[in-house]
Amino acid sequence: MGKNILEFRHVGKKYGDNVVLKDISFDIEAGKFYTLLGPSGSGKTTILRIIAGFDDATSGDVYFDGQRINDVPANKRQVNTVFQDYALFPHMNVAENVAFGLQIKGVDKKTIQERVHQALHMVRLDGYEEREITAMSGGQRQRVAIARAIVNRPKVLLLDEALSALDHKLRVDMQTELRQLQRQLGITFIFVTHDQEEALAMSDQIMIINDGKIQQTGTPVDIYDEPLNHFVADFIGESNIVPAVMKEDYLVNINGQDFECVDAGMKTNERVEVVLRPEDLDITTPDKGKLVATVDTQLFRGVDYQITAHDLRNHEWKINSIHKTTVGQQVGLTFDPEDIHVMRYNESEADFDARLDSYEEEE
Amino acid sequence: MRQKAVFIVPYALWIVLFVIAPLVLILYQSFFNIDGQFTVNNYLTYLTSSVYLKMTVASVWYAFLITAVTLVISYPTAYVLIHLRNKQFWLLLVILPTWINLLLKTYAFIGLFSRNGSINQFLQFVELGSHQLLFTDASFMFVAAYIEIPFMVLPIFNALAEINPSLINASKDLGATQWQTFRSVIWPLSLPGVKAGIQAVFIPSLSLFMITRLIGGNRVITLGTAIEEHFLTTQNWGMGSTIGVILIIAMFIVMFITGDTRQKGGRQ
Amino acid sequence: MKKHSLKWSTIYLAFVFIILYAPIIYLVIYSFSAGKTMESFHGFSFQHYMDLFADTRMITIVINTLLVALLASLLATIIGTLGALAIKDSHGKWRNSLMSLNNVLMVSPDVIIGASFLIFFTVLGVRLGFISVLLSHIAFSIPIVVLMVLPKLNELSPTLVDAAYDLGASRWQTLTRVILPAIGPGIMAGYFMAFTYSLDDFAVTFFVTGNGFSTLSVEIYSRARQGVNLEINALSTLMFIVSLLLVISYYFISQHAGRRHHLVTVKEGDAQ
Repeated sequence: MGKNILEFRHVGKKYGDNVVLKDISFDIEAGKFYTLLGPSGSGKTTILRIIAGFDDATSGDVYFDGQRINDVPANKRQVNTVFQDYALFPHMNVAENVAFGLQIKGVDKKTIQERVHQALHMVRLDGYEEREITAMSGGQRQRVAIARAIVNRPKVLLLDEALSALDHKLRVDMQTELRQLQRQLGITFIFVTHDQEEALAMSDQIMIINDGKIQQTGTPVDIYDEPLNHFVADFIGESNIVPAVMKEDYLVNINGQDFECVDAGMKTNERVEVVLRPEDLDITTPDKGKLVATVDTQLFRGVDYQITAHDLRNHEWKINSIHKTTVGQQVGLTFDPEDIHVMRYNESEADFDARLDSYEEEE
Repeated sequence: MRQKAVFIVPYALWIVLFVIAPLVLILYQSFFNIDGQFTVNNYLTYLTSSVYLKMTVASVWYAFLITAVTLVISYPTAYVLIHLRNKQFWLLLVILPTWINLLLKTYAFIGLFSRNGSINQFLQFVELGSHQLLFTDASFMFVAAYIEIPFMVLPIFNALAEINPSLINASKDLGATQWQTFRSVIWPLSLPGVKAGIQAVFIPSLSLFMITRLIGGNRVITLGTAIEEHFLTTQNWGMGSTIGVILIIAMFIVMFITGDTRQKGGRQ
Repeated sequence: MKKHSLKWSTIYLAFVFIILYAPIIYLVIYSFSAGKTMESFHGFSFQHYMDLFADTRMITIVINTLLVALLASLLATIIGTLGALAIKDSHGKWRNSLMSLNNVLMVSPDVIIGASFLIFFTVLGVRLGFISVLLSHIAFSIPIVVLMVLPKLNELSPTLVDAAYDLGASRWQTLTRVILPAIGPGIMAGYFMAFTYSLDDFAVTFFVTGNGFSTLSVEIYSRARQGVNLEINALSTLMFIVSLLLVISYYFISQHAGRRHHLVTVKEGDAQ
């Protein structure tokens, strides 16, 4: 376990009667890449603004490097931000923008020049010092914004939907670069996004935020494979979420049919939800399938086919398959016991983690 | 945010001293007669005097005519301008005369309209004979309309420029003729500009006095000239203020009727 | 059909432009006439320009007018910019009330402004003359500065201010290093508009000027009432050239600001 650079303790935020954050607590370890992931209006940007000091928490405490910083103004915090719209000063050129923070601190000219040069090199904008902001493309502005933030050597870098204004290809490139930059600098990155692919690709840790609460925290793999609840399962990746009944340990009943699974520790006949990822469903012949279904639609997506089919009980399934099938054809659907992920209703993150740990011990 | 409080001091002082105080004072003054005694007689005089009532009707009538003439000239001008290639440049040419001192333009008309001026020389040349042009109501309204044209063209131009061209294509696509397109698409969409233009022209026209004096002859025929007369000649500030209050009320009525449709780049 | 209608529109536009420019051209032509009236052209001469430059009263008045315009627009720009910052920082009802109060002088007829200022100065015991004229010009120029600066402030992304704080700037540094430079073009435009407003004003000045002090507009008014004098034509021509130069420079300012359509903003004071 690394040292905590940032801690939230029971932080709440209200705008008038509008509750944006509800009793949020978390720790941020130094030197990791965190992503706050959630739909718009979930409160993720508010968390970022509280860390930066643009907004004050209505209740609770924020600790930075062990010190309570609720009353420290934004301009005195060792945190820098890359803004969604970049917020580059339009009346300054690239070098002046990057140098702004250092000038404010009264760093001497020669050092400023060196560090600006260095920062622009890190974001691969060598030689762009004298360019006007208006003469830069979106991707280049993004880099200037990053350089302007990292030149101050903050302990934590905040990125607010920093890639959302870029086109798809550039965004994917920048994801790789940001990840490299974070390793190179060794500082903590806190990245806010609503784009789950971005979050999965870049992060050490993802915090899923919805409705002013943290839904689940974990590594991208944990969150994808073991979503805590309906919201997380639905929000991350594509999924078939089906109501089910837990018959006994390692046996779940979906739509009246029993299936072997790897989950245990629940009450007998407890009502649960089951997640089956579309890529975990394989198409086979009807006689070999655990389920028999009729194909309704098929879309070619380049890497695979997105197929929908309805089973004998008229339940619809989403299937991602690299093999082509035919609309109207009857097929068998098959999956492994470990592809079934069981979610209990209203389970807390701590209980959920304990339950998962218990299987691992048994194995 | 404490220093923001310091920022507002000079501006707030301006609001109190030069916006609120003068309005309060003109209202206050309107209740005093020429000898400095408190009275409501100014209002009674205004309401019972045929001279003042006629003058009010005349002012409104002149302002209406000036606005109408200006609109009739300006709408087609804006409409033609919008279809030109360098429309911003041509618009600048329409606006340019407003940068020349108003007095100078008015002064030019004195020369043009005089008994032996260029207009009369032209009229004689085409054998229509010489006419008294200066000091007539027509010449006064013509000059007033002349002054106001750019202020009417501009908001209409802006409103027309804001119309999405695909709306016009859509209208044509749906089978409307050019005239039908104009009547049911372009005109309604340019209406905010027309209203802004009317507001920008009508209110100042109500209170004209300089043009009235120089071109319309040295007569007291509008509320503007009456106010000037009372304040600067007869020194009856109470009566002048009363008419001023009436003018302010008229201004609010016009603004209410034309609605809050201020166009950007317009006079406001 | 299309060509035909285009032709009519060209003729119409030409007609409008002739009306718009005839008086100005007329003034300019007669400023070079050797004659004494605007009735017939008597051959080319610079006589009226010589008269104008020899007319010390007129020269003094021109200097007075410029002095008032420069001072009034400068002070109005400072107060107006502060006002715009204050309005930008206000919220809801406050903001609406401030905007309404700001616009009172924009929509008021000049006669009302002139008359009410005259009462105001008399009540305060301010002697009519340079000071009263200067104060009036500052007063009626402030709202136009606010209206020119406020859109620039509203355009300013709020994250820009956050970014300045984020990079360690204090509130004062944010104001002087980020906000003011970013709204610079609006402030320049406001100054320019205030300047032309002041130069152009007649009605308000006419009410508050008293006997000892005169500006160009008031002087032309009194001279025009006495009859035509071609010295004024010469002055008009010079002012026309100055106006043109101002418009061109303003054009470049607004171009530099990247907002081309700003140049089509017109002044209000002209109606009187």
